[in-house]
Amino acid sequence: MPTVREEHRSRFGVLGIVIIVVLSALLVRLWTMQVLNGESFAAQAENNRVREISLEAPRGRILDRNGEPLVTNRSALAVSVDPSHDDVRALLVRTWTEDTADDPTSSEITEMFGEIADLLGTTPAEIYTQVTDVQQEALRPRVIAIDASMEAVAQILERQTDFPWALVEETAVREYPNGTLAAHLLGYTGVISQTQYEQSDEYAGYEPGDTVGKSGVERQYEGVLQGDKGWRRIEVNASGKSQGVVSEQAPRPGNDIRLTIDVEVQRVAEEQLELALAESHRQGYTSAKAAAAVVLDVQTGEVLASTSRPTYDPAAFLGGISTAEWEALTAKGSEYPLNDRVVMGAYPPASTFKVVTAISGLEAGITSENSTYNCTGRWTEMGKQWPKRCWKRTGHGTLSLRAGIKHSCDVVFYEIGYELYKRELEELQATSRLFGLGEKSGIDLPGEVSGRVPDAAWKKRYNENYPEYQMWLPGDTVNMSIGQGDMLTTPLQMALVYAGIANDGVVMKPHVLKDVLGSEGEVVRTIAPETLHDTGVSSEVLGVVERGLVDVTETGTAKGAFAGFGPTVAGKTGTAEVKGKDDYAWFCAYAPAEEPRYAVAVVVEQGGHGGSVAGPAARNILAQLLGEPIETVRATDVSR
Amino acid sequence: MNKTLGQRILDKVNVPLVLWVLALLVYGSIVVASATSEMAGGAGLLRRHILGAVVGLVPLALAWAFDYTRLRGWHGVLVTMGALLLISPRLPGIGYEAGGATSWIQLFGVRLFQPSEPAKLIFIVVAAAVIASFKGRIDSPREVGVVGAYVAGAVGLILLQPDLGTGLVFVAIAFVMLIVGGMKGRYFAIAAGLLVVATFVVLQFGLLADYQEDRLLVFVDPSRDPAGAGYNLAQSKIAIGSGGLAGKGLGSGTQSNLHFIPARHTDFIFSVLGEELGFIGAVTLLGLYLALLLTALAIATSSRDLFGALIAAGVLGMWLFQILENVGMTVGMMPITGIPLPFMSFGSSAMVTNLGAVGLLLSVWSRRYGA
Repeated sequence: MPTVREEHRSRFGVLGIVIIVVLSALLVRLWTMQVLNGESFAAQAENNRVREISLEAPRGRILDRNGEPLVTNRSALAVSVDPSHDDVRALLVRTWTEDTADDPTSSEITEMFGEIADLLGTTPAEIYTQVTDVQQEALRPRVIAIDASMEAVAQILERQTDFPWALVEETAVREYPNGTLAAHLLGYTGVISQTQYEQSDEYAGYEPGDTVGKSGVERQYEGVLQGDKGWRRIEVNASGKSQGVVSEQAPRPGNDIRLTIDVEVQRVAEEQLELALAESHRQGYTSAKAAAAVVLDVQTGEVLASTSRPTYDPAAFLGGISTAEWEALTAKGSEYPLNDRVVMGAYPPASTFKVVTAISGLEAGITSENSTYNCTGRWTEMGKQWPKRCWKRTGHGTLSLRAGIKHSCDVVFYEIGYELYKRELEELQATSRLFGLGEKSGIDLPGEVSGRVPDAAWKKRYNENYPEYQMWLPGDTVNMSIGQGDMLTTPLQMALVYAGIANDGVVMKPHVLKDVLGSEGEVVRTIAPETLHDTGVSSEVLGVVERGLVDVTETGTAKGAFAGFGPTVAGKTGTAEVKGKDDYAWFCAYAPAEEPRYAVAVVVEQGGHGGSVAGPAARNILAQLLGEPIETVRATDVSR
Repeated sequence: MNKTLGQRILDKVNVPLVLWVLALLVYGSIVVASATSEMAGGAGLLRRHILGAVVGLVPLALAWAFDYTRLRGWHGVLVTMGALLLISPRLPGIGYEAGGATSWIQLFGVRLFQPSEPAKLIFIVVAAAVIASFKGRIDSPREVGVVGAYVAGAVGLILLQPDLGTGLVFVAIAFVMLIVGGMKGRYFAIAAGLLVVATFVVLQFGLLADYQEDRLLVFVDPSRDPAGAGYNLAQSKIAIGSGGLAGKGLGSGTQSNLHFIPARHTDFIFSVLGEELGFIGAVTLLGLYLALLLTALAIATSSRDLFGALIAAGVLGMWLFQILENVGMTVGMMPITGIPLPFMSFGSSAMVTNLGAVGLLLSVWSRRYGA
């Protein structure tokens, strides 16, 4: 009888082949994976277990011209929510899929965040909004409170089982040692927006959720202040839990920067602006809520002070501003406190513009210092059907150009404007542009507007759909000659005009950055003075204007504001008419007139008259600069 | 004819088989020790692993001592026992659910074992008896139908749990036994066709639990569920691949020690081995398996009767398929199903069963010359 082995030899052979084939297949597979591709898998394994966390660099400090800190850093306790925690994720999934979709008041949210919201003095809806902020990187903890009270922090730490998704960490935040001082100029910081992130240079290394400058100097010099991120590589297990630090690279802090601002001048400017607003109210101009003032060094273009009202507290933005606060800052009735009116406010310059008209007329040779004009309070040169009035209804009588500046007589400038119109050379516009009106000055601040110098081409374009309004009329030039009509300027631009007159016709480019400091405090970059426009206006012409301007503060419309003031000041009042609003008070000046150093422009929206409201503010700002006593001045002015 | 003691021992004991199994047990214990060293209660797990091997000596000894030829007469009893084992997890009060399948039984709250493990051995014996009755020629549809009915019955009961992986093991065992049993080639072709159709039907009509379907489809498309089944596969491949030629050293597997590998001491023990001992360690294991399987094949060929040969072939098929499936899934060649790696994976039920299978082989070996 044959054995099993002999009878079924071939079948066992098949089985042996099956064994060899199976094991060989596995062997080949392992050879490819482990020997041929081992290194690539090894790299994957390394990535797998090592997570890189970026370390934000402390932002550079912002100092005034003398090194006084304006913005510094301090450490604060931040409470944040870990969006990757299972509880939070589950909540988000539920709230997104339920019908209650985006209702941040739903009971589940209240249940989850209610208690911690009470501890932190916020609302569950607010926390929910922060946690679901899609602008931040998905796994990054969402900061819900900076500077939480010690009791709140202690409670959260003690009761980790109640709030397993809450983290308490030390974090560096901006500190404002002077409170709201220069808030607009300095700007605030916040979480990088989607657009900012997408537009940022990839080498800048931004990540969603990073803190960046959002306005002012913080934004303008973001690249200098930001610094370089560091990183920490940590070993993690499969659930992402840290097993320890593998290696670390410390962040490189951003550079400190020194501004051209003088903190003392800035403080006075802000106080004076507040006082000007109060004075407006006292005089019955109760709608006065907004104002701006700027001070320039006429020889260098350095901004010594720049302030805007109403203001805001940049500290409110730390750790994310609450919805309510944001709404308050941007509401229609809020007067837009975030806007820096020095560069963003465009106003009719009114009589402060008359210097430009005078220069234009003098350069054209159609007027001179002692040309005489007759003001009867009513001016009908363009025809009886187009009468224009002087602000002084009774008329100034016979007066010279110089006296016209001193008394701010409208008729004198109507005459000059009309003459300029008849020459059809748009010389008034040209002179305006020579001094930088109608275009951005290029100051190193974000959001500057260009204002407007109206001319025939502009009018045609502006009234594209209204052919009957497209023609440039004599009244357009006449209105413009007293700084009304379609003329719009920023306070900074008017300060530049006066700085240009002061500086022998050379307008220097304004700037707020003085220099950038290195890690040892050494200067690594300085901003050199730069000419914005050399107007080429002759010294004789400028001299005529200056004498008129000095008259203004000594015996003219600003006599009251500058009573008893030591140095000679060349200044001009302005009272702008804005349709449907109270008059805007202006004052522009430079001093000392003999050897000009500083130019100042002050505007108070709906504040009344330049000589009584803006003038006293400008006087005290100059007083601070020139070492004069700061005095409370009550002046009257009825001019325009 | 007088035999020396040594010869008498060699008659009863297949020394190579014992050696290979012993080597695998030692190798497995080392890897399990490494895999569990960082786990909570790791030392306890290693002790349980070794205890499983010790307990497994009991069925090994029983099966060895018992004359396997007498098992042919126990057909009814064995079929009943096997069916009961496979149904037991579904009986009220004693089933224990884990990972979506109820494949364990527990009594008084103590998890006992996976009944499908010992049921494999019963299935091998029953199928061997049935196939042997066809005297080495399976050439009529009726015969194929009979064998098919047994396979379908067993797999059907397992799919009740449902435990797809173990079901596939039964199919593989039957396949290998049918080769030895003399099934005609065309029937294999037909069976393979039916298997494909069945797979399609099962997937198409949602007869699988979602997670099982995921596991199968992830094999085709790993990006299907990168956080779940795909995650396991990706992590396992990274672990094995990063082991390189010589491995990262025992206990130094970053993938496994940092808990990236799921079930790393049980179904994914090979990932730990591949990462820590590298290609050399993996080849060593495959070498041991090759020796084990060829020894089992030699025992099958040495059998005095077809029944014994079929039993040995069944055990061989069980091991071969589990090795292919388990190692294959960790390297992405096979779908992910929960099947232990013989003698390596932590788990007492499988260990006891595999040692019982060794006992069956020894029983066939020791009786190769007749009673």
